[in-house]
Amino acid sequence: MVLQFEHVSFRYSGISEWGLRDIDLIVQPGEMVLVAGASGSGKSTLCRAATGLIPHFHRGLWEGRVCVDGLDTKDHPVHELFGHVGLTFQNPDAQIFNQTVEAEIAYGLESLGLASAEIERRLSWVSDVAELGPLLNRPPYSLSGGEKQRVILGAILALKPRVVLLDEPFTHLDPGGAERLRTLLHSVRSEGTALIVAEHRLHEAVADADRLIVLNEGKVVADGPPRNVLAEDLFPFGLNLPPLVRFFREQDWKERPLTLDEATAVLKDKFHRGELGRLISSDRLAFKNMGGSQSSANSSEKDSTPMIEVKDLEFGYDGETVLQGVNVTLNRGECVALVGRNGSGKTTLVKHFNRLLKPKRGLIKILGQEAGTKTVSELSRHVGFAWQNPNDQLFQANVRDEVLTGPRVLHAHDRDWCDRLIERFGLEPLLDRSPFQLSEGQKKRVAFATALAVKPELVVLDEPTAGQDEPFRRELAVLMKELRAEGQTVVVVTHDLEFAAQHANRWVVLAEGRVVADGPPNAVMADARVLAASGLRPTQSFQLREALERLGKEFRLDAAP
Amino acid sequence: MPPLDPRSKLISAIFVAGILIALNDWSSQVAGLAILIGVVLLLRLGRAWLSLLKGLGYAAGSFFLIVWVTFDLAAAVVVSLRLLALGTVFFLFFKTTAPEDLSNTLVKLGTPYPFAFVLSASMQFVHVLMQRAANIRDAQRARGIPLEGPLSTFRHLPALLGPLLVQAFKLADELAEAMEARGFGAPGRRFRREPHLKISDWILMTAAAGLFVTVVL
Repeated sequence: MVLQFEHVSFRYSGISEWGLRDIDLIVQPGEMVLVAGASGSGKSTLCRAATGLIPHFHRGLWEGRVCVDGLDTKDHPVHELFGHVGLTFQNPDAQIFNQTVEAEIAYGLESLGLASAEIERRLSWVSDVAELGPLLNRPPYSLSGGEKQRVILGAILALKPRVVLLDEPFTHLDPGGAERLRTLLHSVRSEGTALIVAEHRLHEAVADADRLIVLNEGKVVADGPPRNVLAEDLFPFGLNLPPLVRFFREQDWKERPLTLDEATAVLKDKFHRGELGRLISSDRLAFKNMGGSQSSANSSEKDSTPMIEVKDLEFGYDGETVLQGVNVTLNRGECVALVGRNGSGKTTLVKHFNRLLKPKRGLIKILGQEAGTKTVSELSRHVGFAWQNPNDQLFQANVRDEVLTGPRVLHAHDRDWCDRLIERFGLEPLLDRSPFQLSEGQKKRVAFATALAVKPELVVLDEPTAGQDEPFRRELAVLMKELRAEGQTVVVVTHDLEFAAQHANRWVVLAEGRVVADGPPNAVMADARVLAASGLRPTQSFQLREALERLGKEFRLDAAP
Repeated sequence: MPPLDPRSKLISAIFVAGILIALNDWSSQVAGLAILIGVVLLLRLGRAWLSLLKGLGYAAGSFFLIVWVTFDLAAAVVVSLRLLALGTVFFLFFKTTAPEDLSNTLVKLGTPYPFAFVLSASMQFVHVLMQRAANIRDAQRARGIPLEGPLSTFRHLPALLGPLLVQAFKLADELAEAMEARGFGAPGRRFRREPHLKISDWILMTAAAGLFVTVVL
C-alpha cells in the first residue's frame, strides 16, 4: 500500500465540528480513488491529511495515524513528504508562485536538492507528458485556467510522487480541457502512481475510477467499486450523481452503467427482452429529467419587447478581436445558457449587457432602448450579476447592509421584495453577521441576493454551479424557475453542460468570438459541425436519449404490421 | 557569447550608476547615454527600450520642467539625461536576467533565501492581484456602485479595497500552504542554474570598477 489512514480524526483549531472522523483507508499503488461528498463533508481536509499539511501546517486536534509510502506523517515534516505525495489545490492562482512555467516545475525539484542534470531530465520528461512544451517560457498569469492546471499537475508529477491527490480538478475546465486532464491522469496511473480525486462532478471521472468513497460530515459512509457504491441509497449525502446512473435509478433498474457504451448495451438487452416498451411508448415521462426544459413556458414572452438586442457587436483589446459580428436577442422569461471554450468570449459578451465593456462597433438595446447613452450604474437597475467568486463583492460590515447596498446607491429600495429575497435565501439568521465569516456556500447565497436586490429584469449567473454540491444545484434550479415565472430573463455562463441542458431553454454557443449556434440545447448537441467548432461534447443525458430514440425507431418498425 | 553571471551584471550596473551620478556636465551624460543606447541596439532590445522610453520619457520631461523652474536650464538637462541613462542601465540588467536568476543572485550575494524568494514571487502575486482588482471593480460597478472617475472611486473606496484586502490575505494563506507542499522549507535546496563567474564576468566587473575609480576619485 502507498497510503494508509488508521482511525484518523481531526478538528481544526477554533472550530467545534470534527473535519474528519475515524477514517480508515488503504490505497494501493496505481489505484484511482474518487472521493465524493457535499460541500463541507471533509474532502479537502482528507487531502491535507494525506500530505502532512495536517497536522503540520494546519493546527488542531489530531488522532490516529497516516502513513504515506511507509512514512508516518506525524513524524515527518511536509518537506520530507512532498516527494512522496503531491496535492493540487482548488484555486489555480494560489499555487503558482514562480515567474515562468519552467521555473514553476523546477521549484519542487530544487527543493528536493536534485542535481541540475536530473532537473533538466525531469523537466523535459514532464513537459512531454503534460504537454507543457510551448508554455515553458510563459509567465503563469498569462495562461488559461486549464493550462494553469496542467502546469500545477506537471510541477507535482516531476517530483515522481507515489500518490497524487487532486482537489476538484475538473471545476474550471471546459469539455476539451476535461478530456485532456482525463488522458493525462490515465497515463500517470499507468506508471503505478496512485490517484485520489476529490470532485463534485462525478461523471467526469467515475468511469476511470477503481473505487468511489463517499464522505459525509467527515465520515466515510460508503467505499467500494463505483458500481456497488452507486447502487446504495446516496440521497442524504448531496451527491451530483452521473446522469446515466441517475436515469437508471429513476427507472428502478439495478444496473449502474458508467459509460454510454455500457448503458446502450444494457438498453439493447432490455429492449430485446421486451422490458423497454413502457419506456419508449411513454417517453415523455421517462425524459422528464433528462432533456432541456423545452419552452420558456411564459406568456409575457410574446407581448413585450426583447430584454436585450445585440446587433453586429464587435469588441477587441490591444488590437486583438475578441467578439465579432455577434447578433443575439434575449426575450423576457427565457433562460439562456452561454456556452463555449475558455476564452471564446462568453464573459466579454455579458459584460456588454451593462456596459462594463463598451463595444467597438455595433448596437445594444436594453428593453427597447439604446444602451449607448447610459452609465453602468443606470443599467445595473435592469441587469444584475452574480459572479463566480462571491468574494469579489462582499465588503460591508454585515449581511443586511451587503444585500441592501445596491438598492441604497440606486435609490430603488423595494422593502417587500428584499424581505422576500432574504427569506428566499435563508439569510435571516445571518443578517447581523459579517459576510467574511460565512462559508463559501453561504457567501454565494448572499451574492445571489445582492444581484437580485434591485429586482433587475435580467440576471446573469457566471459559472453558478462551479464547485457546488447537489443541494445547491437543486436550489439554484428552483430559483431560476421562479425568476422566469416572474418574467425575468436568466443568462447562465457555464461549462456545466448537464446543468445547462437541463435548465436552459436555449443555448447560445460562442467559438472564437462568434456565435456559431443559437437554439434549443438538443438541436445544438445534434449538430456535429457546431460541436466540432466549439469544443463542446453532447451531454450523457442527450446521448442516452438518442440511443433510446434509435431503439424506439426499431421498436416501432418491429411493431408495424 | 555565453550569458554573463547576474552577479557581475548587477555589480557593474551599480558602478555605472555611480559614475552617472558623479558626473555633472551634460556632455558626459550624453556620451554615457549614447554608449548605453549602443549596447541596447547591440543586444537587439531597441523595440523594448522604446516602450520603456514612453514611461521614462514622461518622468524625465517632468523632472526637466521642475528643475528648470527651480534651478536653471543646464541642471535640468543634466538631471533628465541622467534619469534616462540610469533607467537604461537597470533596463539592461532586468532585460538580460531571467526572473528566477534574480532571486538566485540575491541569495548568492548574501540575502536570506526566504526574503529573496518572496521578492521575486511577489511579481507573480502583483499580476494576480491586479486581475482580481479588475474583477472586483467590475463586480461592484455591476451592483450600481459608481466606481467611475477618481472622485467617485475615492468615495466608494471601501467597496474596492475591502474585497481586495480580504482576497490578498486569503491568497497569501493559500500560497503559503502550496509553497510548503512543494518543499519551501526544505534544507539542502539546490538551484537549477548555479551561476559561475567566468573570465568575461571578471573583465566586465574590473572594467566597470576601473572606470568608476578613474572618473569618480
